[in-house]
Amino acid sequence: MTDKQPLLQVRNLTHHFKTNPPLVDLLLRRAPRFIKVLNGIDLHLERGETLGIVGESGCGKSTLARCLVGLYPPQGGEILFDNQNVSNKTRAEQRDYNRRVQMMFQDPYSSLNPRMSVGQVLHEALSVHKMRPEAEIQNRINELLDLVSLPRDAAGKLPHEFSGGQRQRIAIARALSVEPEVLIADELVSALDVSVQAQVVNLLLDLQKHLGLTILFVAHDLRLVRHVSHRVAVIYLGSIVEIGDSDNVFSSPVHPYSRALLNAAPSIDPDHKNSMPPLKGELPSPLNIPPGCAFHGRCPHATEICRQDKPLLKKREGHGEIACHHTESLMATLAEAGEQAPQD
Amino acid sequence: MRHYSSDPATGAEQTQNRTAATNPEIANPPALLEVRNLSMSFGLGQSGLLAIDKVSFAVKPGEILGLVGESGSGKSITLRSVLGLTRRYGRVNGEILWKNRDLNKLNNRDLQKIRGREIAMIFQEPMSSLNPLLSVGLQITENLRAHTGLGRAERRKKAIKLLDLVGIPSAAARLGDYPHQFSGGMRQRVMIAIALASEPELLLADEPTTALDVTIQQQILDLILALSREMGMSVIMVTHDLGVAAQTCDRIAVMYGGRLVEVGPVRNILRNPQHPYSIGLLRSVPENVPPRSELYSLPGIPPGLGNRPSGCCFAPRCPVATARCAVEKPDLFQSGEKVSLACFNPQNLLSGTPQ
Repeated sequence: MTDKQPLLQVRNLTHHFKTNPPLVDLLLRRAPRFIKVLNGIDLHLERGETLGIVGESGCGKSTLARCLVGLYPPQGGEILFDNQNVSNKTRAEQRDYNRRVQMMFQDPYSSLNPRMSVGQVLHEALSVHKMRPEAEIQNRINELLDLVSLPRDAAGKLPHEFSGGQRQRIAIARALSVEPEVLIADELVSALDVSVQAQVVNLLLDLQKHLGLTILFVAHDLRLVRHVSHRVAVIYLGSIVEIGDSDNVFSSPVHPYSRALLNAAPSIDPDHKNSMPPLKGELPSPLNIPPGCAFHGRCPHATEICRQDKPLLKKREGHGEIACHHTESLMATLAEAGEQAPQD
Repeated sequence: MRHYSSDPATGAEQTQNRTAATNPEIANPPALLEVRNLSMSFGLGQSGLLAIDKVSFAVKPGEILGLVGESGSGKSITLRSVLGLTRRYGRVNGEILWKNRDLNKLNNRDLQKIRGREIAMIFQEPMSSLNPLLSVGLQITENLRAHTGLGRAERRKKAIKLLDLVGIPSAAARLGDYPHQFSGGMRQRVMIAIALASEPELLLADEPTTALDVTIQQQILDLILALSREMGMSVIMVTHDLGVAAQTCDRIAVMYGGRLVEVGPVRNILRNPQHPYSIGLLRSVPENVPPRSELYSLPGIPPGLGNRPSGCCFAPRCPVATARCAVEKPDLFQSGEKVSLACFNPQNLLSGTPQ
């Protein structure tokens, strides 16, 4: 994997939302407060791979996805696409980037214009980016509908005539219409039922294989992320705490947060009980992120250094990159436990 | 007043033993709640839309029954119909036997005495099911005032005790707080505290953890399990997540198209499902499959309320459907010692694969 050229690179990305200050604060001229959603994200996407992003709600998964497609203007850090910085591109280059990196949204009921037929939706995407001459557009629409296994007469129908799963297929067709290289899937199948979810996931995997797509898969369903991803990043309060090969991270997570999070997914085997005690407490507010390691308040291994210094991501042998001060001792206990009771 | 000795936060270890304690083989108590041929249709007359169709099940004391199925399968309507909450939207037929009384025959006033006292309910969205204008203390004591004879000071004491029980730190100080001052998981705990105020014998939980993160979900499920064990309370838990059902329930009832398709002990249903729908549902969960392999997926989508097939609802999507399935609705029958099934062509696909 290392010899591949990263297609998309994110360096030290930060994003803070300004709050609407209460009147009292305005009158007293207090400094504005910021919701610190992303606090220095570093990651890269290699061509053709799927990177899964997991974390609790409010940890910045969706904000990261939206920053990548330019829905939020960049604040700190940089996004490199094909080794070129996205933010200082000309408008024409920006438009090209927007075409090559496409996003698909969570809610299939609000992400399609209810008054545009499926044909119009696809037509708009094709003509805005001048993908095909006008005469060929109808053919291309049929091709796209075939690609996502929708009937061809779907082009004349309005979104409300489709079920949730079919709408997500339309969203996928819309994203694919401009022949992108990167797909950002923000909770693409979270709103769907299990049996329909499997259909859409199969479609996505199939399309990736045939079109060589690079996918950023944001989801809170851990089983699903494990299934579709090559690599996985675990985010806590806007920072990556662990990133590495999907198998590695899921089967032997090292960071205390990833261990708690990845173990919390209930297994469908009634006798496979979760061995980890449940995580205490809840996600702190991103308005005032704890100093040092953001996780120290909930971490069973926290010591003095965790309260003061923010740990940085470091590559570990046999694991991915981990941001924890106690990685060595945790890895040692993991290895010990592994020897005593070999898992799986 | 009952005494709660254990810390709900440590419910994880206790839950290991609970199956033994409530094993129906050891003790075979009569059912606490028995639902017979419960049907509910929205609207009246010919144009009524049948939401649930002849659902029958029983809950034993101390048992946790999981109602699983996809959206629109009638899980929530079943739950709400038990408490008479769907009456105003249409017609409810069948028997709901609770302590030798048929809840479906009771008028609203008599039902009110049972609702919230003997049978309590928690809802999916803690955001919208708490009153945003009332402090949580008031919302808990309101329930206590309606269902117990406690005085004002005692009610307050009990409310603090309840908040403590569900694991809300510094309970006394938070009594005056409003719902928006709590996080999602904490709000769900408040909901549970309200439901538990009258020490119900049966708790109806409608997707209690669906809106929550997995880490919080585990805390809430452990809490429900521990409380059920402590208080000997039965639970009917509606969920679409088979993992949640597997980890918490004693028995599982699978619903599809408004009917029960398979009912049995959790291990029987999850290890050796026989109904093609249960099999499909289980196989489409991405667990124990090689990463990035094709997931098993049922063709088609669940039927809408208005266009359910005249035969077996699952027939159009079923891989083993026959001509009979298209015209006749299969009824639940006892297929094994503890499992009932509604299918003309039961399958035995997973029996050879030990898991």
